[in-house]
Amino acid sequence: MTQIDPVQLTIINNSFVNICREMGITMTRTAFSPIFNEGLDFSCVLFDRNGNMIGQAEFCPAQLAASLFIVRWTVEELGVDSFEPGDVVLHNDPYRGGAHIPEHSVIRPVFHDGELWGFVANVGHLAEIGGKAVGSFAADATEVFQEGLRIPPVKIVSRDENNMDLWRLIMANHRTPRNTWGDLNAQIGSLRVAERRVIELLDRYGAEFVTQAAEELMDYSERWMRSEISAIPDGSYEFTDWMEDDGVVDEPVRFHVTVTIDGDRMIVDWTGSAPQVRGPINATYGVTAGAVYNAVFHLTDSAIPKNSGAYRPIYIIAPPGTVANVVYPGPSVGGNTETHPKLVDMVTGALAPVMREKVAAAEGASACNFLFGGVHPKTGEFYANYHLEGCGWGAKDYDDGNDCTIVVNGNCRNTPVEIFETRYPLETVEYSLIQDSGGAGRHRGGLGTRRIMRIGPGAEVTASALFDRTKGEFRAWGLEGGQPGGYGAIRVKRAGETEFRTFQEVYGTVSASKFTNIVLREGDEVMLDAPGGGGFGDPLERDRDAVARDLEEGIVSAGAARELYGWAAR
Amino acid sequence: MGRWEPIVTQVWDTVVTPCDCCGQVVASRLWVAEVDGEEHRFCSTRCEELYATYVVPQRQGPVTDGA
Repeated sequence: MTQIDPVQLTIINNSFVNICREMGITMTRTAFSPIFNEGLDFSCVLFDRNGNMIGQAEFCPAQLAASLFIVRWTVEELGVDSFEPGDVVLHNDPYRGGAHIPEHSVIRPVFHDGELWGFVANVGHLAEIGGKAVGSFAADATEVFQEGLRIPPVKIVSRDENNMDLWRLIMANHRTPRNTWGDLNAQIGSLRVAERRVIELLDRYGAEFVTQAAEELMDYSERWMRSEISAIPDGSYEFTDWMEDDGVVDEPVRFHVTVTIDGDRMIVDWTGSAPQVRGPINATYGVTAGAVYNAVFHLTDSAIPKNSGAYRPIYIIAPPGTVANVVYPGPSVGGNTETHPKLVDMVTGALAPVMREKVAAAEGASACNFLFGGVHPKTGEFYANYHLEGCGWGAKDYDDGNDCTIVVNGNCRNTPVEIFETRYPLETVEYSLIQDSGGAGRHRGGLGTRRIMRIGPGAEVTASALFDRTKGEFRAWGLEGGQPGGYGAIRVKRAGETEFRTFQEVYGTVSASKFTNIVLREGDEVMLDAPGGGGFGDPLERDRDAVARDLEEGIVSAGAARELYGWAAR
Repeated sequence: MGRWEPIVTQVWDTVVTPCDCCGQVVASRLWVAEVDGEEHRFCSTRCEELYATYVVPQRQGPVTDGA
């Protein structure tokens, strides 16, 4: 054993992180779809030969967590000896560790001096993978087969040669195959960059040294995480939350969690959650586990190196056949976008009584998924796009919530107006923060956004949506007297009409927030309202200068300032 | 004392096997062990330990709600 000092460990850890960052830069520069080069809906990770995650960068938390299971599953299912230099395995099966079916993982082995050293992987949300809905986000799917083409772990590249039979099979099942070709090749290309960098690192320091450093870094992360958990008082803490419906049956869906702190280990148990539902808000195991890790990382020291060691003290129980762990052939596409953020908030909410200085109130917790596609009237080519919107985040004991931020599982970016207008026949009428959508509190919840888009001349657009927090008591909850955040909504104003109405009112969809394949025509307008975040503390205790600033900037209305904050003009 | 058992599947077997404790999918082999008088299939020895130290006591008594 070599003695490795802290400086050397830091250098190796930063090298792992930077390799992942460079993979990401490669993705954004080479991918075809806005979901990658604008939305950043992908993640890049590094594993050792035993399937332990040893490096990640600041990408999508849901994908980063799911990759733990995806890579380990793939290596175990195919067998470590089946990997050869230059191979790339493709995998999107939600029942084999994945988060939901649009997310495609590519995994490449890294060999050094003829020996398998580890793996580089990239998980990315392909914008179109077939299935019943354009954009592959069927909000009324009742089984996985309606959600798109399901691919178990298979070699799409063997010894650096494309398996063209497999490529052709995939292309034949996606609506925008040229984009699939470009995006998947961007993912695969990022693996080649990472492989080169890992080999350079191994050449420079020696494989044995880097392997030992990776193991010591994981042990270090584990010790640090155990120390953080030990600081939380022992006990069991529970929380219950609901989703408004599953897209198929118009009834609320219950989620329940018990978080047990037992010395230096944390057990997060989802027993008590509802049985798996018919619609696609079921979470896969990867989603539920990812939500737990996401919450824990938000509540502990952000400097803990993010590798498999940090996850070791965290135990997760997600009973199969429940909304917290869907089993075949249940649908799950919305579990990753709508359910994950609520599960994060539930873990946070359970621990709020003993970690009040670190927790936040609930966020908008809806990715406001809006899918659309059709033949572009200017080019005659078929297009499809997956769009997600930023909502308000929850306030904390020490600060207001963030405005217009993509859900906590995503860490993605908002898509600029120009993308819609240059690539798709959609004209943006309005893109704004929604006044009064942040839950009132001593610290105010973040604001949701409103985006209104009009269908352009000569266009016919097929649209689907999967939102939540649009009705009843399902708004983002506040803490310690903080008020709930504003509602989300998706509404339509048909050409020639003067008012926006819900799709349920206009088209008779089962759910007002979840529907599939509605045809919109020239002049129709769609309004996407993202929900706001919950407030923290009594609104009457809000700093008066902060209320005045909110009023001046139009963040709160005069009426809300008066009624909720007790504001009297100075 | 438990034992490792391989999961043997046919090409048409697309359904995966979950762990009796955590619910995680198991890819290639199961850890089969007896806990509290019943045989269970786990993803790892870690889950056997969790089942014995958390799940079984949970079933025997209510959780103390610290919230």
